[in-house]
Amino acid sequence: MRYSILAFFFLVAFPVQAQAKVNIFACEPEWGALAQEIGGEAVDVYTASTAAQNVHFLRAKPGLLSAMRQADLVFCNGAALEAGWLPVLLQKAGGPDVQPGKPGHLLAADHVKKLDVPARIDRSMGDVHPDGNPHILLNPRNIGIIAEALADRLKTIDAANRQNYDNRLNSFLRRWKPLTDEWERLGASLRGMKVVVYHTNWAYLINWLALESTATLEPKPGIPPTASHLKAVLTAVEGHDVKAILVAPFENPEAAEWLAGKSGIPVIRLPYTVGGSDKAGDLEGLFSETIRLLREASP
Amino acid sequence: MSRPMLLAAALAGAVTMTSPFAYAASDADIQALRAELQAMKQAYEDKIDRLESRIADMEESKAGQSAMGNQSAAPSGPAAAVPSVGDNSMNPSLGVIFNGRYGNYTESESEIAGFAIGHEGERPDEGLRIDETEMNFKASVDDKFLGSATIAFAEHEGETEVEVEEAYVQTTSLPGGVVARAGRFFVPLGYLNELHAHADDFADRPLPNRVFLDRSYGDDGVGISWVLPTDFYSEIGAGGFRGRGFPAEGGDGGDIGAWNAYARTGGDIGDEISWRLGISTLQTRGIDRAGNEDSVLFEGDSDLYALDGRWVWAPGGNNREREVILQGEYFLRDEDGAYEDVDAGTGFVAYDETQSGWYVQGVYKFDPQWRVGARYSALSSADAPAGLAGSALDDDGHNPWTASGMVDWSNSEFSRLRVQYNREELAGEQEDNQLLIQYIMSIGAHGAHPF
Repeated sequence: MRYSILAFFFLVAFPVQAQAKVNIFACEPEWGALAQEIGGEAVDVYTASTAAQNVHFLRAKPGLLSAMRQADLVFCNGAALEAGWLPVLLQKAGGPDVQPGKPGHLLAADHVKKLDVPARIDRSMGDVHPDGNPHILLNPRNIGIIAEALADRLKTIDAANRQNYDNRLNSFLRRWKPLTDEWERLGASLRGMKVVVYHTNWAYLINWLALESTATLEPKPGIPPTASHLKAVLTAVEGHDVKAILVAPFENPEAAEWLAGKSGIPVIRLPYTVGGSDKAGDLEGLFSETIRLLREASP
Repeated sequence: MSRPMLLAAALAGAVTMTSPFAYAASDADIQALRAELQAMKQAYEDKIDRLESRIADMEESKAGQSAMGNQSAAPSGPAAAVPSVGDNSMNPSLGVIFNGRYGNYTESESEIAGFAIGHEGERPDEGLRIDETEMNFKASVDDKFLGSATIAFAEHEGETEVEVEEAYVQTTSLPGGVVARAGRFFVPLGYLNELHAHADDFADRPLPNRVFLDRSYGDDGVGISWVLPTDFYSEIGAGGFRGRGFPAEGGDGGDIGAWNAYARTGGDIGDEISWRLGISTLQTRGIDRAGNEDSVLFEGDSDLYALDGRWVWAPGGNNREREVILQGEYFLRDEDGAYEDVDAGTGFVAYDETQSGWYVQGVYKFDPQWRVGARYSALSSADAPAGLAGSALDDDGHNPWTASGMVDWSNSEFSRLRVQYNREELAGEQEDNQLLIQYIMSIGAHGAHPF
């Protein structure tokens, strides 16, 4: 007991100097932003995609290979969102410590409860993911849970900076909790708001704010809108007081604009992730802006 | 509640452990200790706050009184699903790819002037056929290896052939970007050779790949690759192989029949452009290597060199919507040995010449489901030595070429239909107009492809 206390004080008093920074390979902008929040000066974050990209269709590009080669922690979404390219990067350039199952491999979706987990699955249902809907980011409570999981991993990988990660996690959560409460207070008036979405990537936002999804522009997940399906959507929304058509920056707005033209329902371009609009420059901005735009559409 | 106790314990610990140093303690030391104590206290309080708020959250959601529908955020932890322990829980990922086609050609002959080619490099049969049905199994073996097998079923001249296209194990645990691989695999040579046919942008391989690599060269051996620790992508690798098939062939397995080495580099320019350049070689030795349906034999060294380049542009980096891919490869083959054209009765004639071939292609995705593409490929054979005049190795002054155009439509990531038109002039007075209609569909595991 004595020795462990002694060791603790020595660790605090004499942190190992000149520790190289932890290189974090973040697949999506939201996880890159969170990694920067929790890691601070102790980490270097490489973000593999931007808000303008549909990350499911990314290629295993050369630049991603060289970044993966340097990674100490791979922090990605998981639930098969990156199935088309992350395995290639890991097998070609990933070190032994970032392979699946290792502390250096953190998938955000493994740490939260997922929506739309199919009881039976078949591709005739479209590109549905067996692990459930992977687009977990648009619920700030998920962000808080994942922040804790991230800090735990960073403490395992970089024990010398445990205190830093604890401090930063605590200050992040101290800020995040009241913000979440405030968003929920502001969002209370949105309860039951009817929306049309392009893809099922809004499921967690809809669930969090108790919105109501009236229709999806894609006939099946991953299959672009067709004329006949759009006509069916038009019939389904007419006269139902639908407030908005939600579109992400990387989604083709044509179908949404067609529907808006026919039905008079406004298209709202939500930021979807960090960097998705000027005001969504960080995680806080992402949610503030999302709530603000939704409230504007449903006064 | 327990907060004062914790504090007392921390204080007691601090006092007992600082006492040996008390004599020498200066004001600064005391200050430092105070600060540390303060930090500890803060950390504990934060932890307790978090636990309390978590308990509150849980109670809230348990009581079902949550104002918002925030069920998804219940802190369920990673063990949300209890893994089943059935026999099938360790099954590898399994994918089946259907690749079928219809072909119509206006020319009955498909000789390639100046070249003797392998069985797979020939023009495929006309009409409707299930070109190739591929099954892929892949999984981690343990924490240090993964295994992958691709078995292809194909029809050739009325017979069903089962071919082990790839069956390899590779390391996942070597540090420093090094991967070692053993088994049968497509040799890293140029760009297309490593791809399975279903990942191609056209219904057939370009001429140089058909002629120099028998469509695609896979062999039994060992290989090693190393992604260098540079800021841009760079990789080198090498391998030694049995020399199982064209362009090696005939080795008795007692020796290394083929060598390969390559270097690649590449990078991203902003978010929108990515590129890759490679240089590679395959050094083989043929012993009674049979080409043109066993009518031409070769014995000697056959060394192939390749340059490959690929450039991809997607507006905004979002290749789901639109994308342009430009790609090209240049091959040089140096053969030193002897050829015999059995049909022409030439006997073995000494041959030391250089042949070349290249292709360039562009594919434009203008809609999430639609793409168009164009490709041109050409070959240049050497002047045949006098003894081979009039044989298959004599190009009679004609350089073979093919021009292709294609359109494809993908309903989802898992299905693609393609129509392709080829104009092939592979020998003098041999003008072939080809129509190819193809489907490529996959079931099972979601595949991943290289850049």
